[in-house]
This record gives sequence, C-alpha cells and structure tokens, in this order.
Amino acid sequence: MITFIPYILKGLWGHRARTMLTVSGTAVALFVFCFVTAVQQGLYQLTESEDAQRTLVVFQENRFCPQSSKLPEDYARWLSNHKDVADVVPIKVFTNNCRASLDSIVFQGLPADKLKGTRDISLVAGDWNGFEQREDAALVGRDVAARRGVIVGEKFSIGGVTVTIAGIFHATVPAENNLIYTHLDFLQRARGKNDVGTVTQLELRLAEHADAEVVAAEIDKHFRGGPVATATRTKGMFQTDTLSDLAELIGCIHWLGYACIGLVLALVAATTVMSVHDRTKEHGVLQTVGLRPLRVFQLVILESTLLSTVGGMLGIGVGVAYLALSGLSVAAEGVTIAFQPTLELIVVGMVVSTAVGLLAGIAPGLQAARTPIIDALRHTG
Amino acid sequence: MSLVEVVCVTKQYASGEETIIPLNEVDLRIEKGEFVSLMGSSGCGKSTLLNLIAGIDRVTSGQIVVAGTNITGLSRGKLADWRAANIGYVFQTHNLIPVLTAYENVELPLLLLKMSAAARRKRVEIALEAVGLTDRARHYPRQLSGGQEQRVGVARAIVAGPTLVVADEPTGNLDDDTTQQILDLLRRVNDELGITLLMVTHDAQAAGIAQRRIRLEHGTLVEAAQPEHSQAHRQKIA
Repeated sequence: MITFIPYILKGLWGHRARTMLTVSGTAVALFVFCFVTAVQQGLYQLTESEDAQRTLVVFQENRFCPQSSKLPEDYARWLSNHKDVADVVPIKVFTNNCRASLDSIVFQGLPADKLKGTRDISLVAGDWNGFEQREDAALVGRDVAARRGVIVGEKFSIGGVTVTIAGIFHATVPAENNLIYTHLDFLQRARGKNDVGTVTQLELRLAEHADAEVVAAEIDKHFRGGPVATATRTKGMFQTDTLSDLAELIGCIHWLGYACIGLVLALVAATTVMSVHDRTKEHGVLQTVGLRPLRVFQLVILESTLLSTVGGMLGIGVGVAYLALSGLSVAAEGVTIAFQPTLELIVVGMVVSTAVGLLAGIAPGLQAARTPIIDALRHTG
Repeated sequence: MSLVEVVCVTKQYASGEETIIPLNEVDLRIEKGEFVSLMGSSGCGKSTLLNLIAGIDRVTSGQIVVAGTNITGLSRGKLADWRAANIGYVFQTHNLIPVLTAYENVELPLLLLKMSAAARRKRVEIALEAVGLTDRARHYPRQLSGGQEQRVGVARAIVAGPTLVVADEPTGNLDDDTTQQILDLLRRVNDELGITLLMVTHDAQAAGIAQRRIRLEHGTLVEAAQPEHSQAHRQKIA
C-alpha cells in the first residue's frame, strides 16, 4: 500500500479546495474538542486527584463565597492536635469576582512557611527572599501573570488589594497557576479591614491511614458547639460543591465534544463519498490493472484517515498551543479550573481523529470495492 | 494447448424485464503470439467477450482458460492478482489517471508486482521509449494529445510484460493519422515483443492489421476471411 501513497496524495492535491475545506472543518471541530476535553480534564484533576481526596477543607457552615466564610484562626490549634491530621494550613481567600468568570483573580493568603511546605511551586521569575521580606509581597501564578501581563517588581491592584510582585511561579497543579499567593496577615488586613484572627478556610493534610469522611465528621461535630460551625469536606468534594453549577455545565458540554466527533465523521465521510463517486472510473482502471478489491477499500480508508488525521493534527496543535500560551481558566467562588493542555489530550485527540477517519471511510470504501469493474469503467460521473 | 481457450461461454444479463444474451455458447482459441481482431456490429457482444477473457467480467456459463489458468473459478482477489501478472488492457478512452504523470500512469501495474524501485524505473523507461514518449514522461494526461494518451495507455498495458494484451476499440476516438500510429504500435508490440493481442474493433481497416479476424454475429463467432488488402496493409506498415 505504501507505493500507492503518492497516488492518494496526488488525488487529494488534485481536489485542493475540497481537501482544504475538509481538513479545515476537521481542524475546527478538533480545536473545539480540544477545548472541551481540556476543561473536563481540568475539572477532573481538581476534584479527583489524590491530593483532592487526601486533603480536607474546613469551611464555615452554609457559606459558599469565600468572602462570607470567617473561621476563627485558632481552630487550627485544635485541628493540628487531631491524631489523623498531619498538617493544618490557614488560608484567607479573596477574589474580585465570586461569580463564574474567565478572568477572576483569586488571592490566597497563607503563612510563608506553609506556602513553601505545602505547595508544589517553583519560581520562574523573582526570588523567595523578596517574598518573605516584604509584607505586601505576592507570588503570582504563571497563567495570571501571562493574562495580566505583569512582571516582578510591579505593583498590581485589583478590588482594593494592592500587592508588589515578588515572584512568578509555576505550579504542578495547573489550577494553582491561576492564583496569587500573599502573606496571610497581609490579606487579613487588606482593603482597610482587620480580619486578623479569622481565615476563610483551613486546609488539612490527612495522616496516611486516616479515613477522610470519619475525620470530617469528627471535626464538624466538635465545632458545632463553637462560635462558628464548620462544614468539612475533602478538597475534591469542596471544589465540586463550590463549582457545582459550572460542573453541571461542563458535564453538559461533553455532548459538544461528541458533536464535534460526529461533525468530523459526517464531513470526512461526505468528502470521501464524493471522492469515491468522482473516482469510480479510476478505481475500475486500478482493478483492471490488478488492484484487489480489498486494496481499493484500503486506498479509500487511507484517504479518509489521512484527511481526518491531518485536520486533527492541525486542530489539536493549534488548540494545545493556544491553551498553553493563553493560560485560560474559569473560576467561581475562588476555585479555579485550568484549561490544561496535556499529553493525554493530544493522544486522545489524535486517536479520535484517526478513528473517525477510519470509520468515515468504511462505507465509501466498501462501495468502491464492491462496484463491479465493468460498471466502474462505464461510470460517467 | 492454446494460450486462450474459450469453451462454450454464455453471457447473459437482465435489462429491465428482458434477458439479454450477448454471447451464446461461444468457443474460441487464440494461440500464443497471435494477433487477433474481433469485429462485429455495435452491441453484438464483442467487448463483453474481450472483458470476459481479460477477467474483468464473469461468464454466466462455460469456461475460459488463459495461459493454463481457468479464470472462471477464481475469486475476485485471485482474479485481480492474475490480471496483474497476465493481462494488459488498452481502453478506447485511454482511461489514464488524470492526477498522475505519463510516467506514473505507466508505472501503476508495476506497483502491484514485487519489484524494486530501480527495476520499475527501468521497465517504465523502456515502455515509454517503445511508444516514443520518453520526452513526455513528466506530462500529465491533460497535457497530451489523444494519440499520445493512447500511446501511454499502450505502454501501461505492456510494461509488466503481460501474457495477453487486450485492446477495446483502441482507435475508436482517434483521427486517421493517429489511428495509423496506434495500429502500427500494436503490431510492433505483437511482432517485436511477441505479446499475444486480442483487439476489438468495428473498423475493418484496423482489423486488417491482425493475423486473424473473427466476427461476432448474433452471439456466436464466425471466422472471417483474411482480405487480400490486409496482408498488403500489414506489409505496408511493416
């Protein structure tokens, strides 16, 4: 079959307009598919990763927006003495927009030593000392920095919070690249308020064999009689609840992904049917010189797969490059879903586009292979 | 044993409610190295017989043996392999692949055979030289005249060294001068390469270059007398 590849390529080049349109259509569909899959992967990682399952978030009961949750900071003392809790991180959260937005800015204030010890981040600009030494210093996630065009040393203000950028970091958890980390006490005092002693949430890292549900129930039971009742969930559950509306929406848009696949299938199949129809006589000639019907079928399949795969490569390539460069994310109530381009996304996209190409070629391929040679040669197209 | 043995072949097909029988218990033998022309009025079944012998159509009954192979019982796949190894086909309408150059069109049958690229190139060059189109090798069919296209068609038919070349009205679409060139070419294929040729034509003059003329009448074959001018014609173009 390899010796016939130039023939296939020349055939596609011979109908440039049709080929370009099909490849473009496939590329657009795969670009959208890429986006949909990236959002889904972002949500999945946020809610299903091991970290999300082994970390508890203690929030004020019946509160959703981070602005409205005010937990006493000294809850951390009792929590850190709990046998199943390995570490406690008090976090103050501030966001300029509690509603779902593509450009929310989320500040998280936490003690510098906890930031260093619990977050897997590495600085790509600036330095750690600069952060530790300045009260208003902030470490900005790579994606926020790219979106907002900020650099180290600049001041950055939003929603009444002004920080000096001490560093730009890259986090292994993609969603964290959309956060701005500050000192806890700075954020407690920001915007002219004095929230010292209260935090938005307490993040607990569980001991190795601890049962998350049991620990969460114990915590809520303990604080039920305290000044502020708590709602404790795994980080994954907390983020799922916080993003419930968005998660529902994202759950729905997977149909958009399927629609994209259907679109590619219809587009490539239509092009291949046209191609087979136009080349019926050629296929008759090829069979006359000795090409087996199975080979004719393979030629058609190869052509449709080539169209679909090239379109897929283009769409996925552009989609992944755009996602990587734009650092797009969607946030609601202080929780961010990163649209992350991953190797898995590339592999899934390529497999889908190739499989769809194969599928699209089956019916026209069978038609080409089954047409009697005499009928094919008499075809006038 | 003859190269081609057509034994009691009948071909029938349905056309609406009517059953057409273009060939009725036809017998034919063609010896190795022969140049046979098959004549007959339009629609008499001569192309049908040619297609049956070339293995691109199926008999209703009877059997056809070519070069020792009974092709009537072969599967579609095996028949394709057999055609690749044994048959060269010259079409009336050339049927070149428009997106391929003359060289690539001629090379097509060789792509199906186990052959190195260098061997393929050599064979294609020889075939193009034989039809006098070496200088047109990189031209596309649309850049060739009708006669040149047909010469490419002949080159494609002979390039793999077939046992039998069949030509279906090879001069049907050509002017007189070009017809003469193609007939000359076919005769040389037969004379110089020793390839057995079966040519369907309705043109008595074209048929005259063949060693043997057969006429198909009412579904049966009649051996036609060799006209005197035919020998003279052969000698003239020789």
